[in-house]
Amino acid sequence: MKSIKTALIFLTILVAPVLLRAAGELNLFGWSEYVPQEVIDGFTKETGIRVNFETYASNEELLSKLVAGGGAYDLIQPSEYTVELLIRRNMLAPLDRAKLPNLKNIGPDFLNLPYDPSGKYSIPYMTGTVGIVVNTEKVKEPIKGYLDVFQAKHADRLVVLNDNRELVTWALHTLGLTSSDVSAANLAKARPIVGAWVKLVKVFDSDSPKTALLNGDVDIGIVWSGEAAICWNENKKFHYVLPVEGAHMFVDSLCIPATAKNKAAAHQFMNYIMRPEVSKLISDKFPYTNPNLAARKLLSAEQLANPASYPASSKLETFRDIGAAAADIDKLVTDLKSAQ
Amino acid sequence: MSAPALAPTDRRRPGWRAWALLLPMVAWLLLFVVVPTGILFVYSFCERDEVGGVIFQFTLRNYQRVLDPVYLSIFVRSVGYAGLTTIICVVVGYPVAYYMARATEEKRNRLLLLVMVPFWTSFLIRTYAWITILKQEGLLNGLLQSLHLTAAPLSLLYTPTAVVIGLVYAYLPFMILPIYGSAEKLDNSLIEAAYDLGAGPLRAFSAVIVPLTMPGIAAGTLLVFVPAIGMFAITDLMGGAKVPMIGNVIQNQFLQARDWPFGAALGVVFMLMFAVTYIILQRRGARLAE
Repeated sequence: MKSIKTALIFLTILVAPVLLRAAGELNLFGWSEYVPQEVIDGFTKETGIRVNFETYASNEELLSKLVAGGGAYDLIQPSEYTVELLIRRNMLAPLDRAKLPNLKNIGPDFLNLPYDPSGKYSIPYMTGTVGIVVNTEKVKEPIKGYLDVFQAKHADRLVVLNDNRELVTWALHTLGLTSSDVSAANLAKARPIVGAWVKLVKVFDSDSPKTALLNGDVDIGIVWSGEAAICWNENKKFHYVLPVEGAHMFVDSLCIPATAKNKAAAHQFMNYIMRPEVSKLISDKFPYTNPNLAARKLLSAEQLANPASYPASSKLETFRDIGAAAADIDKLVTDLKSAQ
Repeated sequence: MSAPALAPTDRRRPGWRAWALLLPMVAWLLLFVVVPTGILFVYSFCERDEVGGVIFQFTLRNYQRVLDPVYLSIFVRSVGYAGLTTIICVVVGYPVAYYMARATEEKRNRLLLLVMVPFWTSFLIRTYAWITILKQEGLLNGLLQSLHLTAAPLSLLYTPTAVVIGLVYAYLPFMILPIYGSAEKLDNSLIEAAYDLGAGPLRAFSAVIVPLTMPGIAAGTLLVFVPAIGMFAITDLMGGAKVPMIGNVIQNQFLQARDWPFGAALGVVFMLMFAVTYIILQRRGARLAE
């Protein structure tokens, strides 16, 4: 009796991987610190689809690997301006709405935005803002905007995103321009500002800028709102401020590359993460602004009161695809950082 | 007399069997060194497109950009960091290696093991451990303050000092091991002879011991200097990604900036530099051996 049981268990162990393989694999390429392991495990448990999860730290890195890797990825997580670029370059597969019934949970404010006007290619995963985190125990004077942050007295006390487009956009905002005003003349005006700023920064980090703040190595940060929300959860001394000169909202989306092999599994995953209870898990771990209104109903009052996750603000602008100017921005920042 | 009678020529010339044994290595080199280098070389003369793809259209633009003073100054800075790292590694590593080589066999093996132990843990985890030590509220600052040696926490992490600490830590074993190798073979009678001929300890060290262990120092220098100059993980993690070294710039071209041809051009120039360094060291080594 016992031996039969053992044999059965043994057989199951042997056969299980084969069965799993039969259900297929999903190659997910997403941001680091953004997709909780529980969500991936839950999806595999329910569908039998194995998820190969690879991460990146910037939209540019995503593009770079997408161009190089060809058809290796089934599901990617670009931000709005990159979605627009990928649509323009015919690099995305159109979505099958019939396979995404949970789309009804997403708030209308987050659908059919200018970067994907018909909503044909993307669904929003999480949204957020880029703003200023201040350690109010160390910094006593009020910090309202970028110009308050980049002061000589804050030299070596700053962490900022290691993201060229962000850096240049902040400089453009201080000139009263938008993130899309990237003519050569405007970039020339932004150049000395960025040049002065990079000298004041202590850490450039897009993966986990909260670390330097929580470790006490820096006192002020310009970071993703989700990172700021985690700081606030850790200690209420970390305040979040949307810069007065102008802030922008990002919408990180899920899209299927045109070359994806397993589009069915990609749709399944998209629909899975739009379930309220699954989407709540993401909010628990990475407290960005959840576009899933049904999931928001499941969040605690404290989560909804987090000023970084749900800032009181009017609708903010989003980045747009700026074409070839993106390369100019990369060169500008590389040169300025190197020239230190 | 009992040795099998083999013609001397047979023993010296590698036969086809020897080449067959080398085949996996040759194939590996071809596949993972020669072919990628060729691709790098071709890419470095190409244009890029908007998303970061490579367009096969001949241009010298990338090499022109390499000569931009900005990148030249990064080259110089990287050489500086790598050079400093190498010097510190020699100064710190030489006594350790020499002591190890002179120790009794049992002790020697134990010490060798201690040099190897760090390799059992992932390099990135060891670097993160340094972050825990050096951070503002970290172990080192805690120790210094509890001993009342410093009043306020020192800023250590995300500074050039932190980068050098990280580099020396990462590459010190690669200096110790080759020096140990040549110090172990050191013939004691030569040192005794130096003393018999009236040399003091300093003279014996500089005129006999150092020249005899020079091959180890040269090998260690190469093993430390070359990887240190291209390192990017330590400068990102411990330097706060703000003191770019040439490794960071190249990595950046392939990911953030998506300018593969320019990254390739930097890589080619970089490789040429390595080759030149290597040839110079080889020449010096050969001259010293004469």
